[in-house]
Amino acid sequence: MIAAFDDFQTGLTTRGRCCAEARPRPPLPPSPDALLFFPAYLAPFAALLKMAADSEPESEVFEITDFTTASEWERFISKIEEVLNDWKLIGNSLGKPLEKGVFTSGTWEEKSDEISFADFKFSVTHHYLVQDSTDKEGKDEVLEDVIPQSMQDLLCMNNDFPPRAHCLVRWYGLREFVVIAPAANHDAVLSESKCNLLLSSVSIALGNTGCQVPLFVQIHHKWRRMYVGECQGHGVRTDFEMVHLRKVPNQYTHLSGLLDIFKSKIGCPLTPLPPVSIAIRLTYVLQDWQQYFWPQQPPDIDALVGGEVGGLEFGKLPFGACEDPISELHLATTWPHLTEGIIVDNDVYSDLDPIQAPHWSVRVRKADNPQCLLGDFVTEFFKICRRKESTDEILGRSTFEEEGREIADITHALSKLTEPAPVPIHKLSVSNMVHTAKKKIRKHRGVEESPLNNDVLNTILLFLFPDAASEKPLDGSSAVDNNNPLSESEEYNLYNQFKSAPSDSLTYKLALCLCMINFYHGGLKGVAHLWQEFVLEMRFRWENNFLIPGLASGPPDLRCCLLHQKLQMLNCCIERKKARDEGRKTNTSDMFPGDAGKAGDQLGPDNLKDTDKEKGEVGKSWDSWSDSEEEFFECLSDTEELKGNGQESGKKGGPKETASLKPEGRLHQHGKLTLLHNGEPLYIPVTQEPAPMTEDLLEEQSEVLAKLGTSAEGAHLRARMQSACLLSDMESFKAANPGCFLEDFVRWYSPRDYIEEEVIDEKGNMVLKGELSARMKIPSNMWVEAWETAKPIPARRQRRLFDDTREAEKVLHYLAVQKPADLARHLLPCVIHAAVLKVKEEENLENISLVKKIIKQIITHSSKVLHFPNPEDKKLEEIIHQITNVEAIIARARSLKAKFGTEKCEQEEEKEDLEKFVSCLLEQPEVLVVGAGRGHAGKIIHKLFVNAQRLTESSDEAAAMAPPEEELKRVSSPEERRQNSVSDFPPPAGRELILRTTVPRPAPYSRALPQRMYSVLTKEDFRLAGAFSSDTSFF
Amino acid sequence: MDEDVLTTLKILIIGESGVGKSSLLLRFTDDTFDPELAATIGVDFKVKTISVDGNKAKLAIWDTAGQERFRTLTPSYYRGAQGVILVYDVTRRDTFVKLDNWLNELETYCTRNDIVNMLVGNKIDKENREVDRNEGLKFARKHSMLFIEASAKTCDGVQCAFEELVEKIIQTPGLWESENQNKGVKLIHREEGPGGGACGGPEESKMAVPTESWCLGDSSWMPQLSMIVECYKYFVGPGLS
Repeated sequence: MIAAFDDFQTGLTTRGRCCAEARPRPPLPPSPDALLFFPAYLAPFAALLKMAADSEPESEVFEITDFTTASEWERFISKIEEVLNDWKLIGNSLGKPLEKGVFTSGTWEEKSDEISFADFKFSVTHHYLVQDSTDKEGKDEVLEDVIPQSMQDLLCMNNDFPPRAHCLVRWYGLREFVVIAPAANHDAVLSESKCNLLLSSVSIALGNTGCQVPLFVQIHHKWRRMYVGECQGHGVRTDFEMVHLRKVPNQYTHLSGLLDIFKSKIGCPLTPLPPVSIAIRLTYVLQDWQQYFWPQQPPDIDALVGGEVGGLEFGKLPFGACEDPISELHLATTWPHLTEGIIVDNDVYSDLDPIQAPHWSVRVRKADNPQCLLGDFVTEFFKICRRKESTDEILGRSTFEEEGREIADITHALSKLTEPAPVPIHKLSVSNMVHTAKKKIRKHRGVEESPLNNDVLNTILLFLFPDAASEKPLDGSSAVDNNNPLSESEEYNLYNQFKSAPSDSLTYKLALCLCMINFYHGGLKGVAHLWQEFVLEMRFRWENNFLIPGLASGPPDLRCCLLHQKLQMLNCCIERKKARDEGRKTNTSDMFPGDAGKAGDQLGPDNLKDTDKEKGEVGKSWDSWSDSEEEFFECLSDTEELKGNGQESGKKGGPKETASLKPEGRLHQHGKLTLLHNGEPLYIPVTQEPAPMTEDLLEEQSEVLAKLGTSAEGAHLRARMQSACLLSDMESFKAANPGCFLEDFVRWYSPRDYIEEEVIDEKGNMVLKGELSARMKIPSNMWVEAWETAKPIPARRQRRLFDDTREAEKVLHYLAVQKPADLARHLLPCVIHAAVLKVKEEENLENISLVKKIIKQIITHSSKVLHFPNPEDKKLEEIIHQITNVEAIIARARSLKAKFGTEKCEQEEEKEDLEKFVSCLLEQPEVLVVGAGRGHAGKIIHKLFVNAQRLTESSDEAAAMAPPEEELKRVSSPEERRQNSVSDFPPPAGRELILRTTVPRPAPYSRALPQRMYSVLTKEDFRLAGAFSSDTSFF
Repeated sequence: MDEDVLTTLKILIIGESGVGKSSLLLRFTDDTFDPELAATIGVDFKVKTISVDGNKAKLAIWDTAGQERFRTLTPSYYRGAQGVILVYDVTRRDTFVKLDNWLNELETYCTRNDIVNMLVGNKIDKENREVDRNEGLKFARKHSMLFIEASAKTCDGVQCAFEELVEKIIQTPGLWESENQNKGVKLIHREEGPGGGACGGPEESKMAVPTESWCLGDSSWMPQLSMIVECYKYFVGPGLS
């Protein structure tokens, strides 16, 4: 009954290829333990015998079992049993019959444990399909007569050839099994006696525990995927056996040969044999379609690298795969249910024509990590984050900074020589300034040395600073147009989530340029070079009062990355410095409310500690300016009494005294409010704007504030520290409203703290009577205290709340010390932001729902990761990987669409179906072709194969032999084709067969039990996997 | 005892001037009421550790000035807040009407969009109520906020407000993270009375840590002098020095 396999085995061994045929097991005892002489299938009895021997004649319930002398082997078996018990795999449980496709759609899980045989480690793994708990209701019932679930599953035809499953699932149709394999990857169980020993152990363990889950042991080298195993039920047993060969014996290449081996293996005593059911699947591989169908012209990197700068667009990211991301198409033609005798398939003739197969399914093999431009771009940029070198180290010129300064000084010195008056800087065009400075620097160090060539550098600088091209520097508001229709859209506001910067900002553009330079123009060196140029440009703009373009005006936007905030901060400084410098010249800034802030914080002549000499000189003319006539005339009503008192107003004095002062720094009248004591209109003063802050400054400050603690003193100190702004406002208010009281100030500043009540006066009239709220009346509270200290000084002569010089220098220093790695970390959110936008844009063209979903996930994921300082590298890598992944999916979709010609499809309905088919190919491991070979998609696939065949034919045989016309004819008529030597399809790359039947075994009067044999034949691999059940009670 | 603290949360109190923000905070942290509490200048700061469902959370509560002029200053402190208490005065309709402005402010300056907002109608002990409870409810529902009416004077609803807010924050995954990542979330409710609502801790989020460096450990309470002097210079104008 085992003759066929035995033959086989001898055949094998003579060829030097091993096959693990487990039975009959030669009793080869590796240890002197007598038990080993029992063949494995007697294991249950052996166990009984052993127990009997241990416990002597009485088999009481309570007995002492002595394991002290247990051998390694016994211990091994008991460990297996322990694991099986732990996992509760004991007893029978019947689930629902398997639904169609559940092996793919369901979830597989696995549990692992480690056991050892002496010092050899094995891992035990339980693989199982997760089933609803309702399925397992049968668990409690004791089902004596039912054969184990796994045996029943052998016959189930709903899940043949699952697209994705453990190999044992594919071979045996199991929903649950346990595998014991050597724990270390390189370990293997090679000798036959060891294999038998293992299998015997399994057999004993199954018998002892009553576990009905099939238990496999992996033998030979792991890559061979050789398993032998066993499943035991009540009075039944299934043996799982396997043959694995590199070369297939000729008689087993076709159905009839395999049927023979199956039957002889079963060795069924019945005649006639019950019919064998057959499932066949032939797989055809299409590989060389690129020559016809590679749709995408791979982006021409060479042109970008070596070519003109003009052809290269900074600020755009590249996209797409450089190679066909689809490498192969696998067509599986399946005959799911045949009965013996219906078809003929032997070594001379076959009925199995793929076109006639009732089921077609297709899978595509994706190229492993196709080179994708966008992904590479971002990945390379990310790599900079890990570089440790500083800019100077990279450029190898530590003197560079000084060189730059020196030149600046030279220009300065020259202009000083040539022009006696302060340089009228604003008349020079920015472009001249930028470029002359750069050119001089470059001259100094020589063009050859610089990592970026001049053209590239100039293009980038022009791209980053478009104002340098126009002859007029930008003034007033910065380049970002706030009325931009984009600005409201969700897409534009993405920067908010990524904590990057708006997509039209300088920071964002800088990130893209650095990315591009890193990839195409000099790598890290180029990055360092551009950054140095950028920092120089920043200093230049600060020193020459040119606003930085591409930044939203106003205080730093805390939703953006820190670098963006720093640049905005610098712009704030430039703006204020510019306003101050211009104010001194034009005298007009105070007149416009819009300029109030800028004009407001100018230094008074007595507060010049931290300004340079030049400013001091200008400051002298300031005196006359502050008495200017315009200012004077604006406050008509006060003119007479206030004339000439301006400068001495700083003196202390009560309201009466100050009332005689000339009002200064008025912004506008505050509604119809009048001063309480003299009925003059109440004016809102020009005030200093509070200091803009970047998030790091802010954090520093809130830390200090928090450190003051929560005691009363702490709170008081905290309030005092923050009262500068209040005090400044009070001073401005006093200056604008001579003779005012705190009540007046409160009515403007905190109106709810001035309580008005209607009272009836002596004459019986209703009068409004107001007073300060209780909290404002608390003696010596901070407000009163500040009010008493405040002198009437207009904002422009107060000490600056915001020291723009200091802050600007701080920012510039910060920028200068950033290493390329720091820079990359600062800008990575912008790069990721840009990459996501790019992917989104490309997806819009293709409309792939899968990609839409992933993009959404990327956005949520990134917004979580990027919102915190110093995100982990691993998380960033993950994001970049996801983006690359999406890019590859889009590239695949394009490749497939071109291959299947969805665009060329004329009929709307067919086109829709085809598009659906293509998107399924992207999402599912295997896709059913509707209508098999006769469907629309099927016809296209057929054609693809025919073309490929023609190609091989024409290259194999002389191409001249078959003129194209003839070939075409051949394609058109199938009958002719048959007779021709060339078929439409290549020989199948894979041939799979499943043979199943139910027969009594080993004796005619035994129970009829499931038998199954799976065979797969590929070019270099032949495997038979048999599961043969036998009755262990009646034989 | 600091060891037990699950997390530190930043809470912000905002609203028009004079609605009782500081009083609410004082009632919560010190359980006192001072009818003559000076108007806040800039921002003030208090800390309190509370226990919600067995999880201890340290609250760093930032109290802000309501005056319009301070609004240019205070939004900088919105950064990194996990919870916001928006207060109005039920006896002054104008403080309720202005709520929209405050929400706009929040939307503009908050760095994250999943923070928990709570609306508190204060001063319900007073008789001249101008804003009905239902109006507050309606507003809160419209803007998906928590809502409660309270009185800092009589102590009504104050404790409850803060506890609700903290519980909600703790229940929002990803909004906060554990002080000590290894400890994970304490799910065992030890001192829980009967019927205590089960507040599942959020799934251990893998997100990065927003390192709020309050450094309020017991020893660090004393302000570091050098830092304060530095800061003092930064803030204070010539008048007060």
